[in-house]
Amino acid sequence: MLVPMTKVHVIGHRRRLEPTVQALHRLSSIQLIDVSDDASVTMPPLAADDDQIHEIEEFRYLRARLDALLALTPERPSEDATEVDLSDLRAELESVAPEVEELAQSYEELKAELDTLPRHVQSLRRLLPLVPELTGLDGYDTAAVILDARHASALGTLNAALDELLSGNFEIISGQVDTDTVGAVVVTPRKAAAEVQALLGRQQVNRVRLPHQFESVPFRDAINMMERRLVELPVEMATVQDRITAIIRGHGQWVTARDQLVERLNQLAAIHHLGATPHTFVLSGWVPAPELENVRRQVAAVGGGEVIVELAPISDSDEPPILMENRAIAQPFEALVSLLSVPRYGSLDPTALMMVFMPLFFGMMLGDIMYGLILLVAAVIVRRRFAIRAPSAAELSKVFVLGAGWTIAWGVVYGEFLGDLGHRWFGLTPIWINREEAIKPLLLFSVVVGAAHIILGLLLGLWAASRRHDRKGLSTSLGSLLALIGLFLIVGVSVGQLPSGFMTPAVATVVVGTVLMMALEGPMGLITGPLEVMGLIGNVLSYLRIAAIGIASVYLARVANELGSLGPIWIGVIVAALFHALNLALGVFSPTVQALRLHYVEFFGKFYEGGGTAFVPFGAVERKD
Amino acid sequence: MELGLLAVGAGLAIGLAALATGYAQARIGSAGIGALAEKPELTGRVILLIAIPETLVILGFAVAAMIILLLGG
Repeated sequence: MLVPMTKVHVIGHRRRLEPTVQALHRLSSIQLIDVSDDASVTMPPLAADDDQIHEIEEFRYLRARLDALLALTPERPSEDATEVDLSDLRAELESVAPEVEELAQSYEELKAELDTLPRHVQSLRRLLPLVPELTGLDGYDTAAVILDARHASALGTLNAALDELLSGNFEIISGQVDTDTVGAVVVTPRKAAAEVQALLGRQQVNRVRLPHQFESVPFRDAINMMERRLVELPVEMATVQDRITAIIRGHGQWVTARDQLVERLNQLAAIHHLGATPHTFVLSGWVPAPELENVRRQVAAVGGGEVIVELAPISDSDEPPILMENRAIAQPFEALVSLLSVPRYGSLDPTALMMVFMPLFFGMMLGDIMYGLILLVAAVIVRRRFAIRAPSAAELSKVFVLGAGWTIAWGVVYGEFLGDLGHRWFGLTPIWINREEAIKPLLLFSVVVGAAHIILGLLLGLWAASRRHDRKGLSTSLGSLLALIGLFLIVGVSVGQLPSGFMTPAVATVVVGTVLMMALEGPMGLITGPLEVMGLIGNVLSYLRIAAIGIASVYLARVANELGSLGPIWIGVIVAALFHALNLALGVFSPTVQALRLHYVEFFGKFYEGGGTAFVPFGAVERKD
Repeated sequence: MELGLLAVGAGLAIGLAALATGYAQARIGSAGIGALAEKPELTGRVILLIAIPETLVILGFAVAAMIILLLGG
């Protein structure tokens, strides 16, 4: 059900503005309308004064600072419930933050070192075979270069250039280090270091640059030192992280302060939505009708007789926000409806219908006692485990609890337990349809289910169109309904289920229906009318997927059982379990998507009006993040 | 012989329809993912658009089932 909305104007004396805004914020059941967008308010918008602008800037700065600090540690300090004095916060942050920021920076440096060292070790290891012993080279520098084997000729150029610079007082030791890399170690006098540096920079070679503490160390020692460092680094990082965490954990009030800042910033932001004269303010907003009395009471409590809540007329240009209210069992389906589009205000909320049909279709497709039980257990576990960590996943698992229930029920109807295993083991027989053999009745059944679902959709469309006095919608829905009924009668006569006398009225019904669909479309109707009839047939046949996916899943389960019965028993069990797991994964994903599609395309297409905007109350919502 | 031809016909009916669906879904899917990268709130609409061509393969399935069940006896 969509909750009816009321539009209210909260009008009062300027000196009561602050407490009123705070009370409404706490209550969080009003969605503010910007007065400049509200034609029924003639007051000019209220501009924030200098103090407020200053306050907003200060609070934004503090919030950004706190966010940065709190993000440094994965665990949030336990919240300190007492109110924090925000005026002291800046001083406190300025005394503590530098230490934390310094620690954070050294953590980043350590992390960078940990990331780069393994690459240096690798490069040096590749070069090591070239220079078995390079000790006793006092007064000489070594530089290592690596280049692609295809460009090995660059070494010749380097040799020539060095020769020109140092007149032979140097050494290049080079060799293949692996299939497509050539390595070289260049030994040059230290006194010519600067010129050599510059020369190497100009050449087409890739110099191996080591962190400065390893630069003048022999390669083998450098590798050893680096490996020791690689062991030490994680320990150092953990120590730094612990110190950061300890400092932040000691400041539980920061979490509270952050929430307070967010709350206060929201309240200050609300000021821009208000209208005001020198002595009065007006605040315009949407309140769910059932909450109206509560809002009135709270405002009266803080207003001291100087603030009133007045009902405002809803004009045609207003678009009231949408708040869906359904029984707890249907609530998870609200998200699925909104996934397509939030319903338009004053239209029908299809959540309850979706709760009835979606799990039903899901169960009809999967239909297996054991799969249903496994899914039920999984859904219950997800619901328990993720209740706090991922509330939306927990909420969605309720959809699967219902789906699992129907899967078990249809499993009994089809007599399926892990495919045909129930039949093999304990002679389980279907109550009604054996999906492996009775394909024809199964197909027929899914078409009938589809027709019923679509007729329901058309009836709802008829009702919705008559409610908004939409003649075009009315004639289209009525025409579709007649055409569909006529088509079914024709099929009934042609397969010999109905006496042939029905043929004439059946054709007449289709014609009348088609004409109704064309009637108000103008000349285009001549094309769109027949197309829509074809579309209707397509819509009904689309429900064949219920049978098709079911059959596919049964055969896959059967394949699993057949494979499982080959070879030794233990291999058989593993193979069968793997195949059943695959089938279950497919069998959960695909019926979900298909059941959703049947709703979105075939069912909703007949009556649903989307395009609304969700109700976002002014208040505590943003506190969470 | 005739049964074999019926089977080939049924296979073609669903196979070609599946190819057509796959082709349509590939194009809609890539465009849809592109749209989602910019506007995640379109998820529902994109699922819907991707699902629409599936009607083709379902119709192919209907024809294949009719060939086998009605003509194949």
